[in-house]
Amino acid sequence: MQKYDTKIQLIFHFLKGAKRFFVMSALCAAMVSLLDMLSPRIISFTVDCVIGSDEPAVPGAVRRFLDMAGGIPALRAQPLLIAAAVAFVGALAALFRYLFRSCNARGAERFVERMRNELFGHIMYLPYTWLSENSTGDIIQRCTSDVQTIKRFISEQMTSLVRTFILIIMALTFMARINGHVMLVSFAFIPIIVAYSLFFHNKIGSAFEKADIEEGKLSTIAQENLTGVRVVRAFGRETYERERFETQNTGYTYFWIRLIKLMSAYWSSGDILTGSQTLAVVCLGAYLCVNGKLSAGNYIALISYNGMLMWPVRTLGRVISEMSKAGISIERLRYIMNSEKEKNPENAVTPRIQGDLVFDHVSFTYENGSAEVLHDVNFTIREGQTVGILGGTGSGKSTLMYLLLRLYELPPENGKITIGGYNIADMEASHLRRNIGMVLQEPFLFSRTLSDNIGFALQNRLPEADKGAHSKSSLNVHMEKIRQAARIASIDDVIESFSEGYDTFVGERGMTLSGGQKQRAAIAQMLIRNTPFMIFDDSLSAVDAETDHKIRTALKEFLSSSTVLLISHRITTLMNADQIIVLEGGRIAESGTHQELLAKNGLYKKIFDLQAAGAEEIHAS
Amino acid sequence: MKQEEEKNIHLKFFGIPRLIPYVRPYRRMIIWMILLGGASSAIDALYPLFTRYALDNFVGKMSTDGMGIFVAAYIALILFQAVINFKSTYDCGKVELYLNRDLRNTAFNHLQTLSFSYYNQNSVGYIHSRVMSDTGLIGELMSWRMMNFVWNGSFIAGILVVMLIINPRLTAYILILVPIAIVLLTWFQKKLLFYNRKIRELNSRITGNFNEGITGAKTIKVLSVEPRVIDDFQKDTREMRHTSIREAHFSALFISTVTMLSSIVLALVLWKGGKLTQERLMGLGTLSVFMSYALEMLDPIQNIIETLSAFVAIQVNIERLTRLLGEKSDVADSPEVIEKYGDTFHPKKENWEELTGDIEFKDVSFHYPDGTDYVLSHFNLKVPHGQNVAIVGETGAGKSTLVNLVCRFFEPTDGQILIDGRDARERSQLWLHSSIGYVLQTPHLFSGTVRDNLRYGKPDATDEEILEALRLVSAEEVLKKMDKGLDSDVGEGGDLLSTGEKQLFSFARAILADPKILILDEATSSIDTVTEKAIQNAIQVVIKGRTSFVIAHRLSTIVDADVILVVKEGRIIEQGTHKELMRQKGYYYNLYMRQYEELSWNKLAEE
Repeated sequence: MQKYDTKIQLIFHFLKGAKRFFVMSALCAAMVSLLDMLSPRIISFTVDCVIGSDEPAVPGAVRRFLDMAGGIPALRAQPLLIAAAVAFVGALAALFRYLFRSCNARGAERFVERMRNELFGHIMYLPYTWLSENSTGDIIQRCTSDVQTIKRFISEQMTSLVRTFILIIMALTFMARINGHVMLVSFAFIPIIVAYSLFFHNKIGSAFEKADIEEGKLSTIAQENLTGVRVVRAFGRETYERERFETQNTGYTYFWIRLIKLMSAYWSSGDILTGSQTLAVVCLGAYLCVNGKLSAGNYIALISYNGMLMWPVRTLGRVISEMSKAGISIERLRYIMNSEKEKNPENAVTPRIQGDLVFDHVSFTYENGSAEVLHDVNFTIREGQTVGILGGTGSGKSTLMYLLLRLYELPPENGKITIGGYNIADMEASHLRRNIGMVLQEPFLFSRTLSDNIGFALQNRLPEADKGAHSKSSLNVHMEKIRQAARIASIDDVIESFSEGYDTFVGERGMTLSGGQKQRAAIAQMLIRNTPFMIFDDSLSAVDAETDHKIRTALKEFLSSSTVLLISHRITTLMNADQIIVLEGGRIAESGTHQELLAKNGLYKKIFDLQAAGAEEIHAS
Repeated sequence: MKQEEEKNIHLKFFGIPRLIPYVRPYRRMIIWMILLGGASSAIDALYPLFTRYALDNFVGKMSTDGMGIFVAAYIALILFQAVINFKSTYDCGKVELYLNRDLRNTAFNHLQTLSFSYYNQNSVGYIHSRVMSDTGLIGELMSWRMMNFVWNGSFIAGILVVMLIINPRLTAYILILVPIAIVLLTWFQKKLLFYNRKIRELNSRITGNFNEGITGAKTIKVLSVEPRVIDDFQKDTREMRHTSIREAHFSALFISTVTMLSSIVLALVLWKGGKLTQERLMGLGTLSVFMSYALEMLDPIQNIIETLSAFVAIQVNIERLTRLLGEKSDVADSPEVIEKYGDTFHPKKENWEELTGDIEFKDVSFHYPDGTDYVLSHFNLKVPHGQNVAIVGETGAGKSTLVNLVCRFFEPTDGQILIDGRDARERSQLWLHSSIGYVLQTPHLFSGTVRDNLRYGKPDATDEEILEALRLVSAEEVLKKMDKGLDSDVGEGGDLLSTGEKQLFSFARAILADPKILILDEATSSIDTVTEKAIQNAIQVVIKGRTSFVIAHRLSTIVDADVILVVKEGRIIEQGTHKELMRQKGYYYNLYMRQYEELSWNKLAEE
């Protein structure tokens, strides 16, 4: 897997495909600056030489061009021509200004798009353990606001840095062409102003960090108040909340006011520096004019070039200090991008998933250092069998399945799991998962339509409606599969009762389904894949007994050829299985068929009695 | 969740008039800031005069006489301007910060009075960004951007005045720009608004995708649908790129068009001015000064255009914030009640009657404000004080409705809820709420210490009382594990504690407050058996002697309840004691049977 050793490396990785736009935009920006400088040149030339009668102080090439066009007298006869030139230069500047902004946006958007896609793509293939160890809020924060910070830095600060350099160099060059002394005087101020700005921004940097922390606190108070609105109201603590918020808000505000005071002092003192620079140029220029070393037109031009230096020089310091902020954000993304993706072994195999499933002396402990969850679990499931795994909360039954699907990797020294003789650790994880269907204990539905959710795993996605008659039939085939799965999971009726049927939106921005409905939708979602192995992890716990029975009957027909694992704490769910494995505290307590287990008179029998007795006790009352 | 009704915003002047009440307290500061900003601009406009002076007196007369005074005056001006700039930026910053603070406070306080239908219809994220980010944007708009607008505007105006004095005819050509700019602005405003809105929508979709990709990771992996999820994600980001580029296209076009027009006007002025000079109607020096002024206008014009674009972008936020502030609570105390019992922030506790805890639903019909289906119709129930009512049903069946009514988070559409024999609306909400304890299924703690949290319902509780409450719910063990005892930090939202521990603390908090009415929303998540046992015991302790409503998921906890209400699809379908309901062999019976099997494992563990 690619590792990004430095921040620069990662930035360049993200910049793929966007660089040319940024280069273009910087070039256009330079053109804009150049053209913006040209206008005053033309105007001063016109005022001095065409309307006035000064000798033109223009470069040789321009002079030859002028002579070819008939010299200054010809221009004097055609005042409209000069006006047209000014307008033309202005139009050109406008064109480049447009191109600059447009290229910049294209680059920036491509850059952001790639950043987001790369992050999301990477996260999708990170091991499940990584995702459960890192807080969701934090990851999202990185993928949204850190991404924005970096985007802004690259598209705004970096291009403005490039532009600033070009501008400074151009302005200085023009000034040097007119008069080297003035240029040197003007240039001498630049390092002073930049150093002053850097000094200030470094000094204030830590204060900004503190302001961020204070803002975070304020934001947390608001967040907690909103999520805990019931608690606040039920305890009648609105006044307390108000005081809490207002106190923090006031503290935060006054912190910022002190900061603003510092910044205002910095800005206005910076004005003094740049003002002195202008003064120096004005005086020196006037002095040179008096001594006849500078024409009046050139004097005006010099001053206007010098004016163009002011702003870029002052932003230089800020850009450099922003760099450290962006650096932190890039580092935060590097953490994600450098996290190891799910490992696939070298030369991963993709055999047909068939044959016996064997857990061979499997022990497992979760990485967070808690107690052993599975201890020396050993069993074989024959192809086509239906096997029940019975156990209470914390017996390790779900962990068994997570290991089978490689949501957690089983360390090789802790035993192995094989299917048809192939160790699952040698397989491609996606191949394995494509062949083992599993309904999770707590099903998750995505904010899409129900048909989209159920048909999620179908190879061919639901064709989009507007693609014409050609896809009509494939749409029907697709819908038919979804319907069939929904019927077996006995959720078809429920869906049809919604006003929008299968197009009903579920999840965060849609309808809320009950626990039982969710479970049934998840069952349909798995059935549609028709995998050789199917796992039901406590999948009917929230479904009432009648529906439970209905689903099980429908399933029996459908599942005839698949190997099925039923996980439950409810004996009735799995008493008809070909084999029942009873787990307790991460170990296999006993196994066998329902009859065999009853005969053993062990744990299974006890559970059976308790569950049956429970029912009877209630009957009696 | 309610989708924002942003479709048709037609705010006048970008919605700024709506902000006037919030700006009013700072009007003096704002006027100063604008005056000083204007003065600073005026000084900016003076600098070319200095150049002209240098040109006329030093260059023109070929002498350096008076250079000393010239320099001194120039430096004095620079220093003077620096002082003005300091004062005006500092003021501007203060205006921004004060406005932010006031808007945040107002929004936050207003939210404390809004009823639950508002919270049910808007997600926490949505409300949170109204309070935290809209206020910031608006503060910035009304200070820096406004100042920018005024500065640049007055700079342009100042230059125009000077130019008018120098040569009115030439200035007239420049004024042609004004009507054109206005037409352009209105056209582009529409376009930009449209794309800005779309970008915002896509942005929240992308954030939602990240959220779903991470919280749904297990499902995605199990279904092995990563490629498809990634594909869908990329579709959204691609659309985002296209839309953003469109937006950038229009805003770039806007600015370019305006700058191009300005150069054309500049060319026009040069042409006409040149002619005037050639005809000896105007001096060369005057033309040169006039042209340099005209050039000076280009940057401010660009700035103003950019500021206007920002105004366009922010009017959505103004609209949303002012809508929040204008939101009326649909559970409000009548003026008479406020007169006697006080309002949310100013309770008149001396007039509060003691609350006993007799509750009666009298012919209550109810539907949620955002729906039309009645979830209760002509419902009658008497709950004498000290009784224990259990509410059971599937997730999403509407178990909270009754509790919402008891707490007066919602009011009945028809009928009455009597508390101690009097209509709940005859006393203030705060009066009722002060006597209610609430324990949520996802326990909610606030960041701070254990002590802060436990005292939430009783601010003056002593440490002894706190420890006693913890002992009652057998949470001393949890506290012992924490290194600083009651001073230990619980983390943001109590994140440093496990769910079970949070649950126990919230029980202790409820006990401390010693409420007459207690609401328990029981946990659904699986907790280990030991903690569960502790919680079960805590529940028994807490409900003793109080009128209590328990929203139950584990039926074993409520078999002793005085009355059990069974809810399905928002309606109460069965009602009675555990024995009666079991005998009915109805829905409750099924629910109970389903859970009994799970309970058998716990029984086994106990043996």
